[in-house]
Amino acid sequence: MGLAAAMLLPLAACGGGSTSTTTKAADNGETAATTAGDSATAGTETAGNTTAANVDTSKFVTITMLVLGNKPSNGRMEAALAAENEIYKEKINAELQLQYIEWTDWQTNYQLTLASGDGSVDLIGTATDWLYAWQMVQKGAFLPLDATMLQTYAPTTYEEVGEDWDLCTKDGSIWFIPEDQYTQWTNHGIYYRGDWATEAGLDTITNFDQLGQYFQYIVDNKEGVIPWDVSGANNTGGLLGGYLGSNLEITTILGVDPAIFTYNNDDPYTVTSPYMDGDTLVEAAKLFKQWSEAGYWREDVLNYTGDSRDQMYAGKSGADQHHTQTYVTTTRPIMDEKQPGSDLQFFYWGEENNNVTRDLKTHGAMAVSASSPNPERALMLYDILRNDETAYRLHNYGIEGTDYIVTDDNKLDHPEGYDASTDALDTNFWYGRMDAYELDQASWYEGRSELFEELDSKAHDYALTKFAFDPTNVQTEIAALTEVYNQYIPSLAYGKVDDPEASVTEFRNALKSAGYETVLAEVQKQLDELKASEG
Amino acid sequence: MKHQDSSMVVIKTISYIFIGLFAIFCLIPFLMMVSGSFSSEEVIITKGLWILPRQFSTEAYKLAFASPKLLLGSYALTITLTVCGTSLGLFLISMTGYALQRRDFFLRNKISFFIYFTTLFSGGLAPTYLWMSKYLHLKDNYLAVFLPLLMSPWLIFLMKNFIKSIPFEITESGKIDGAGDFRIFVSLILPTLKPALATVGLFLALSYWNEWYNAMLYLSNKSYYPLQYFLYRIINMANYLKQSTAGAQVTVGNLPSNTLKMATAVLATGPIVFLYPFVQKYFISGMTIGAVKG
Amino acid sequence: MMTKTKTETLQLNVHKVTLRTKLSRNRTLILMCLPAIVFFIIFNYIPMPGAYIAFTDFNYNKGIFGSRFVGFKNFEFLFNSGKLWQLTRNTILYNLAFIFLGNALQIIIALMLNSILSKSFRKVSQTLLFLPYFISAVLVGFMVYALFNYDYGFINGLLKNMGKEPISFYSKPGVWPVIIIVANLWQSTGYGSIVYFAALCGIDQSLIEAARIDGANGAQVIRYILLPSLKSTAIILILFSLGGIMKGNFGLFYNIVGTANANLQPMTDIIELYVYRTLINQFNFPYSTAAGLYQSIFGFIIVNIANAVVRKIDPEYALF
Repeated sequence: MGLAAAMLLPLAACGGGSTSTTTKAADNGETAATTAGDSATAGTETAGNTTAANVDTSKFVTITMLVLGNKPSNGRMEAALAAENEIYKEKINAELQLQYIEWTDWQTNYQLTLASGDGSVDLIGTATDWLYAWQMVQKGAFLPLDATMLQTYAPTTYEEVGEDWDLCTKDGSIWFIPEDQYTQWTNHGIYYRGDWATEAGLDTITNFDQLGQYFQYIVDNKEGVIPWDVSGANNTGGLLGGYLGSNLEITTILGVDPAIFTYNNDDPYTVTSPYMDGDTLVEAAKLFKQWSEAGYWREDVLNYTGDSRDQMYAGKSGADQHHTQTYVTTTRPIMDEKQPGSDLQFFYWGEENNNVTRDLKTHGAMAVSASSPNPERALMLYDILRNDETAYRLHNYGIEGTDYIVTDDNKLDHPEGYDASTDALDTNFWYGRMDAYELDQASWYEGRSELFEELDSKAHDYALTKFAFDPTNVQTEIAALTEVYNQYIPSLAYGKVDDPEASVTEFRNALKSAGYETVLAEVQKQLDELKASEG
Repeated sequence: MKHQDSSMVVIKTISYIFIGLFAIFCLIPFLMMVSGSFSSEEVIITKGLWILPRQFSTEAYKLAFASPKLLLGSYALTITLTVCGTSLGLFLISMTGYALQRRDFFLRNKISFFIYFTTLFSGGLAPTYLWMSKYLHLKDNYLAVFLPLLMSPWLIFLMKNFIKSIPFEITESGKIDGAGDFRIFVSLILPTLKPALATVGLFLALSYWNEWYNAMLYLSNKSYYPLQYFLYRIINMANYLKQSTAGAQVTVGNLPSNTLKMATAVLATGPIVFLYPFVQKYFISGMTIGAVKG
Repeated sequence: MMTKTKTETLQLNVHKVTLRTKLSRNRTLILMCLPAIVFFIIFNYIPMPGAYIAFTDFNYNKGIFGSRFVGFKNFEFLFNSGKLWQLTRNTILYNLAFIFLGNALQIIIALMLNSILSKSFRKVSQTLLFLPYFISAVLVGFMVYALFNYDYGFINGLLKNMGKEPISFYSKPGVWPVIIIVANLWQSTGYGSIVYFAALCGIDQSLIEAARIDGANGAQVIRYILLPSLKSTAIILILFSLGGIMKGNFGLFYNIVGTANANLQPMTDIIELYVYRTLINQFNFPYSTAAGLYQSIFGFIIVNIANAVVRKIDPEYALF
């Protein structure tokens, strides 16, 4: 209790200081000056008796949630949000607004927005793998939470997360709320057209040789189609990571930048790197140079900025690269509609050597911004969004009858005339979905459960969920390594080098002089510590 | 000048040829863009760009105007920014320039250097970004685009030099009539500044019209963007291209994306190019007096 | 005559009066400068101390001055990465090319324009030359892509028409310095030549007439009258651009090369792109700021040296 009070005091100061920017929605005539202090007091008082009902919500506030994705322009998101906000208004006297980080330069904009710490954001969508949650913790972007706070302001969420809080705890504080009640597969791979593969004499594609044959068939027989019309600017690693994972029993260690450090699946506590050791990288570089010269992607792939998925929908690209979830929910159904008979298939990395990792429970998570003027209300709002079925469906599916309908067999469908490519809701809430409130969609690929079962039979858990790498001691080296990685990998991955073998050697020498050994040793040291602490 | 010597003939011939060629060299990329925008997508993909449309088509423009909300919004925004920024900037720059060239102003050298120093040293990208977003709260605010372009040391310098060429007697006579410095500036000096205002105004208008960098840094959740950043997004974000044509009945993926990009480029650049003939007359004399007599 | 004496007495008085009276006498003028002073304080001076980030392990929540001081640790990486030399070299060489090739071409074109008597030809060509100056860096980048891309580029279309193999420009780092320099000249020559041409227009025609009568031919007029008259303009323009020698026309490079095609980097990377990329790829405020600070300080030293040299030769032309 004392801790909670101590923590809320600086918040009160924070809120008081920046009220001018956050009270623009204060339409109920409350004076801004009293509130910040009030809510802090309220927090202290109620900290003991664990209900949010006693929290002072007399001042109307707007909670801003940072999400990834392109802001939709069809007006549907705003309409659904307005309906949803009625609920928040009534229950906690607050409203929700979304701030989008667009996909173009999303990493930059995400980081810059967090870095500015200007109090304009309350809730931050994050993830320990693709959104660098632990790095953000280290940089001070998130507000440290604790059990008392969560029990007070987000009691339902607190209960259901249970022991998974461990995954979000470091240095005695809880830093984010995991999306741990949601099943998904976000393992990557490449989509290819079943009809063309059959024409090419391939039953299915389960390895890179076959993928090469498929691409070659397209070059030879499909005039005007680029086998994989990828944009190097938007997909820097290309097929390289997939190739390594499909040929070696390794898993990438998350949270270490650049993502070149791995563990062997039978020994998670020893760090290795196929980027430095072994011949696989050389093989890959040679293969991709061959593919590049054979025209499997554009000559200008590194400067091309088109959208390979749209090209695939239009029948102009023979492949697209993303993960299972996208395949099942989006690309397969849309291809069935736009290219009937295309029979889009999914070749996932690790299919040939059974090297598939299950999703992290923190592949999505929600954090409270360290500079949020209203962290209590933000938590309360999140608790409702996550656990109130009406709010949840309004947020994720929109308005029933306009955005979606529920079919007789309790599946989600869309009304007549709905076009997924222009009418999508796009609220992009990937930071606290709940299996309990999710509806299967009528449009989803019907082979979904089979695919999930197959994946489940092959997959293993990520072994280092508790490993939160602390880069403090090797920041200089990490920066230099990242620079080297970004310089060499795109050209290696798309075969834009004269001599693959020499380029790999050059890349490895550059890594070494950038301090590879030092970082490797530091990762190993921290892995040893983790192993020791786990006994 | 009637007696032509042989060296002059050679020089002239070379001049005509060289200038002519250079002018064509300057023009070709524009021709290529315009003709590309009026070509069919198919011919561009199969045969490449050319300086004349090989298969005339207005499809790209039809598509750009099929649901022109984003484009027109960008136009309105850019025109507003350019007009407001140029007028306010001109006023502030000429006012500063006037004060700084007054030889009876004992602080003029100090203030001049204060301004000039900013071209020598800067805090850099990251600190500026933090200052603008965290403290000035200009993130996602059009002022982040509007304010930083209002003045530049170079334009103040240019204006100052120009005003210097105006006889000091004008100021003197104003003083004798009992007018204050500001009155003198507004009613006696400003009216004589036409060429300088045209010159500096053109620079200001260009910098506002062509602004994309601050927009890229500071604007991300807006419905409308300044034209050049709009163009940047059309060129670099397949998704935005799609959005800008939402409502047009074209299958996604069948968008004539290349010609559409070029049509947008033409539309985004056209108006400012047509501004030049109107200010050309003043521009050369403005440059003569302002830049040359350092 | 009257006015002149008056000014003199006025200036004489100025020396005797106290600061207070000086301030009150110039009150309006000070007020007139105030918007500009405030402007430069807000947008230029206040961010300067922010460069302190370069010496900290910047923490988002603690802010610039609350973060831990780490000394020169962040600069170590600049030196260790081995990039520093490449970046500095590229930045300076590109700028030297821009400045000296640019000014030479501008002067030549101004002289040529001056020798052309047909007014309409001059006006039309001037307008065409000036045209590229009107477009944004975004469009320049797009035009370069439209000219040089492999699939439908203008140049490759030309090559294909002539029955030659198309060239993959975006995989050949060596051609990019040429492309970038030409693009820069393409965009700035028209404008620069107008400045020089304006200087030529300002020359007293009687000087030229007198030389003619003394029997000077066209080439001699150019050599002995026109060229020397451009000296002051050239020095001012070059000095001004030297001030930015460590800056690299970010927009041009960013839009032409982009940040994804690392293949071209050895030939096209400049400090400003690096500063930007460090922010994008590594979200590293301290390193980015350190690189920026290096750029600022180096540039500051260069312009001071240049200015000192000019001052020594002829104080008239010194910038400060």
